[in-house]
Amino acid sequence: MKRSISTLVTVGLTLGLAACSGTGDGGDDNTVTFRIWSDDAVAAAYEQSFAEFTAQNPDITVQINQVPWANYWDKLRADLSGGGGDDIFWVNAPNYASYADNGNLVNISELLPDAVSDWEPSAVEKYTRDGSLWGVPQLIDGGKVLYYNKKLVSDAEVDLADLTWDPSNEQADTFLQALKKLTVDSAGRTADQPGFDPGAVTQYGFNAAWDFDAIVGNFIASNGGLYQDSGKYVFADDPASVDAIEYAVDLINDDHVAPSSADTNDNLDFSRDQFLQGKLAVFESGAYNLANISEGADFEWGITPIPAGPSGRIPVTNSIIAAGNSASENSEATQKVLDWIGSEEGSEPLGANGALIPAVTGAQQSYFDFWASKGVDATLFPAGVQNGVLKNDPVPGAQAASADLDSAFKEIFSGRVGDIQEALKEAQDNANEQISG
Amino acid sequence: MVATLEKTGVGADQEIRPRRRTLVLDVITYTVLVVSSLLVLGPFLLSTMTSLKSSKQFAAEPATSFPSPLTADSYVGLIQGNYGFGRSILVTAVVSLVIVVGQTVFSVFAAYAFARLEFPGRDFLFWAYLSTLMVPGVVTMIPLYLLLSESGLRNTFWALVLPFVFGSPYAIFLLRQHFLSLPTDLISAARLDGAGHLRILWHVVVPLSKPVVSTLAVITAVTHWNSFLWPLIITSGDRWQVITVATANLQTQFNGNWTLVMAATTIAIVPLLALFVAFHKTIVSSLTIKGFN
Repeated sequence: MKRSISTLVTVGLTLGLAACSGTGDGGDDNTVTFRIWSDDAVAAAYEQSFAEFTAQNPDITVQINQVPWANYWDKLRADLSGGGGDDIFWVNAPNYASYADNGNLVNISELLPDAVSDWEPSAVEKYTRDGSLWGVPQLIDGGKVLYYNKKLVSDAEVDLADLTWDPSNEQADTFLQALKKLTVDSAGRTADQPGFDPGAVTQYGFNAAWDFDAIVGNFIASNGGLYQDSGKYVFADDPASVDAIEYAVDLINDDHVAPSSADTNDNLDFSRDQFLQGKLAVFESGAYNLANISEGADFEWGITPIPAGPSGRIPVTNSIIAAGNSASENSEATQKVLDWIGSEEGSEPLGANGALIPAVTGAQQSYFDFWASKGVDATLFPAGVQNGVLKNDPVPGAQAASADLDSAFKEIFSGRVGDIQEALKEAQDNANEQISG
Repeated sequence: MVATLEKTGVGADQEIRPRRRTLVLDVITYTVLVVSSLLVLGPFLLSTMTSLKSSKQFAAEPATSFPSPLTADSYVGLIQGNYGFGRSILVTAVVSLVIVVGQTVFSVFAAYAFARLEFPGRDFLFWAYLSTLMVPGVVTMIPLYLLLSESGLRNTFWALVLPFVFGSPYAIFLLRQHFLSLPTDLISAARLDGAGHLRILWHVVVPLSKPVVSTLAVITAVTHWNSFLWPLIITSGDRWQVITVATANLQTQFNGNWTLVMAATTIAIVPLLALFVAFHKTIVSSLTIKGFN
């Protein structure tokens, strides 16, 4: 026993001493660190891109660091406030504003003024603040589409092209009429037939739920409403937004064409899994689910544009930029990498693996080619933003309000709230207080 | 824990209880035991089952359904994929080992000093140190982060180890209380024989404290094997990634990747299980009250 303890102590200390020979971060002057949130497919694509970059610039290597998505923003804030952080890091629209205001990000309008025209205009606009662009757009979502189960739709004899929805005019609401035909109960009755039993639904028509990106934001935008504006939340003050949100809530609780919020509120994968099991006819989502559906569906499926609201077919769109760290000690090499990832050559591997659409317009063809080879017309995604997108000015400090806002909306979508307008007003005022306080 | 019934002394006739009462009691006892073990073991069973499912089956069927087909795809994918998982196991093992060794050694020294040495301010220092147990870890995390950043130790092995290797208030408290309970006669006898403090520690105190020290070592090993938040913020990238961070990295923004995550957690449990199996006798014996023979 004594001998094994002393051996253990010796081994432990030796290992410790040996390990201390490791260098800290950024030890090599010519290693540029590049931080993304956890996504294996994208990391592999970037590695391909950077291998080419190092072949052209042999004295610079790029190291990709993945941080778990769930903890990305906490770690970023801790690192940046400690004066550290990677040389280049991913940021998205809801979160970049406070970093830009604090001077943590490199001004791309000054650094790469000629390259701006190569990038997707909606992404450039989204990340322009105080007249300057604060990152190199990397990936865009395009618009949203309706994924549909071909067999279920043809069985119900429904045509998904040119559907319109309208919260105030039932006759013009061809979308709801179609969804009712696609919702079937255990006795085989559809939702528009008498005797339909909402408690025994075996097939749902649509995936209405509290999911801002996939559902709610698109309804708000297509009705001409706003969710946030000028740095605060305005969804309750804008009647168009209130109507849109009420419409979505009614789809679940009054019309019964969507699964209960008890299933969808806390599990965003629920609707997608129902669709993959063939129990959901129409699934509204974005390009981020294209790979999942392509791999997971063992039935014939297709995509079609989202229904048009009173203001047209206007979706929410998201994008990701790679921002330079203004506190980086390696600024020259970092600038070269930023230039590379904003170029067509650097972005092409991102599109070629089909995960998301590159923001560099010249590199987008590789994405379309990849999906064309699988029989999917992915040009529908960028085409979706041609009529405009939801104008979503960033709200600095949004994280402070996000938890309460989330639970308020979950309550509203559960159908237990009597006066939706009042509940929205309360949630909005509460959130605005939290972000300013 | 098995309670052993010792046969009482000579000539003791065992009472013959009516069979029915024993049977009912047995049935109740076993039912309670089975239900409790299912409740405790259930999550582990579920996670192992999930790790053996294909991701398609996981998406299509309820989580409690049995894997069919039974597939090791998640394990293969974990090892073959570019997740840096193998390296993270190595890093976590070395970090845990260094912390356990360091913390045990330094806690024993400190506890001995607080228990058996006399110096001015001893008790005040002890209680002040103990009171730091009341401070939640997250409060000290940012100052510690800044401290290590300024020292240039961010994203190094020492950053993972230094805050913990010099002892923990919990360990020092437990050991000090145990050392206080040791009979002073033994220590005085050793001192009369001319032993210095180190000798007393090595030959008298530590041999008598084996169960407590082993239990503390196991608790420390488990705590640091599972630690997540500190390694997350102080390290970046593949080089010094620990198991918990590597497992969290398996989940993307839109994909839970649950079968892969469950495979990772199942692999992560195995070394701890091995540790428990190796040390379970000492852990159990430390829970029973033993007098000196």
